[in-house]
Amino acid sequence: MANWIPLWVHKLGSPPLFYRFAGAARPWLLALAVLAAAGGLYGGLVLAPSDYQQGDAYRIIFIHVPSAWMSLFIYGVMAVASFVALVWRVKLAEVVAMESAPVGAAFTFITLVTGSLWGKPMWGTWWTWDARLTSELVLLFLYLGVIGLYHAFEDRRQGARAAAFLALIGIVNVPIVHFSVNWWNTLHQGSTVRILGPSKMAPSMLWPLLTMMAATKLYYLASLCSRVRADLLALEGGKDWVRKIAEAEGSR
Amino acid sequence: MSAAPLSRACAAVLRRDLTLAWRRRGDIAMPVLYALIVVTLFPFALGPEDALLQRIASGVVLVTVLLAMLLALDGLFRGDLEDGSLEQLMLAPQPLAPLLGMKILAHWLTTALPLIVIAPLLAGMLHLPLAVQPVLLLALLLATPLLSLLGAVLVALTAGTRRSGMLLALMLLPLCVPVVIFAAGAVAAAQQGLPWIAPLAWLGAALAMAVVLAPLACAAALRIALDA
Repeated sequence: MANWIPLWVHKLGSPPLFYRFAGAARPWLLALAVLAAAGGLYGGLVLAPSDYQQGDAYRIIFIHVPSAWMSLFIYGVMAVASFVALVWRVKLAEVVAMESAPVGAAFTFITLVTGSLWGKPMWGTWWTWDARLTSELVLLFLYLGVIGLYHAFEDRRQGARAAAFLALIGIVNVPIVHFSVNWWNTLHQGSTVRILGPSKMAPSMLWPLLTMMAATKLYYLASLCSRVRADLLALEGGKDWVRKIAEAEGSR
Repeated sequence: MSAAPLSRACAAVLRRDLTLAWRRRGDIAMPVLYALIVVTLFPFALGPEDALLQRIASGVVLVTVLLAMLLALDGLFRGDLEDGSLEQLMLAPQPLAPLLGMKILAHWLTTALPLIVIAPLLAGMLHLPLAVQPVLLLALLLATPLLSLLGAVLVALTAGTRRSGMLLALMLLPLCVPVVIFAAGAVAAAQQGLPWIAPLAWLGAALAMAVVLAPLACAAALRIALDA
């Protein structure tokens, strides 16, 4: 049996090994992210035809939609890492969960900003209390709560565990918020504007969108690698492997 | 020496917290005064027209009660943490969750119940029709325990930190969006003469779930925050 895979995953949980692995993987991930973003943006901004109704303004979806997907995806990653951190007390999972939060918050913020930039010419308003917009805003507040709680503790590991617990409460709450906001909105008025469904999309617009999705995912992984590396060094400051790295850096 | 049965321990915790609250009766009045003042400010800011105040009355009362509870929530574990009785509670042979449930109940009785008692007065000040008032009270009776339970979990998480006031607001407000939506939705529906049972049923369902799960989550959060 190929039991080297679980063995390798277990080994990767050790901070020095992950530090080396992330250092090796980061340039590749970053290069792939830049390549995919360049291809996706070229395809989206230049090659794809303009929309028959929205003209060129629709092109913001090549930033907006991948960011929106990432805002949810990263929350999912954070929640899974939080669960692992709380149940098995894996130090690396704590770091991954806590370092995912600012990236996720940034993607959520980008989603909101690009959405309102698009909304101004299309809907005639920066902001409307549409169900999706409101859920996304609540998601941003949840991210900020997790980040705030993490930094409120003096002991970083304790803060990470508390914030991980909050992330788990949040993931139970996200569907409830989404459902209730939907219900609230439809009580007062039917949804007037719907964002274009990806399945109903022309292939010439779909492939740049999917490429951008891959680019944001790769960027997240690359960014996570460098953030986790920095955090591991700070967290393991007194350990032997960090001292060796510091000595190697110092003698250079 | 055998441990006291759980029911006796729970009753003792409840009695102790109520006695402590009664000894500082002034603290019970503070959220009520706060709510009264906030509601008084709204007509000044928006103008005293009846029609406008009537339309916003239920929402203003709900949000005011929520904010007043948020202010009081900070003190839920503060005193017990400072004098060390919270650690004793955690070391007790009885399971922690029901004991914390009793603390939450005592906190609800001393902060939320006075707010519910003056809610008809607040709503009356904003000219909410008398026929809608029972729905508002029912919504508050279901929503405030839910907020207490949700808030207690978050207060427990911040128990180990120094400054927690603003942080608590940042953490709690996104979580109580559904509570506000359903409570305000019920009152608004009643005001328009529509059936209002459905949103209240949702609140009741959420409360039933929170009564079971929140004390457990609160206990887990407290153990994390105090690293015990």
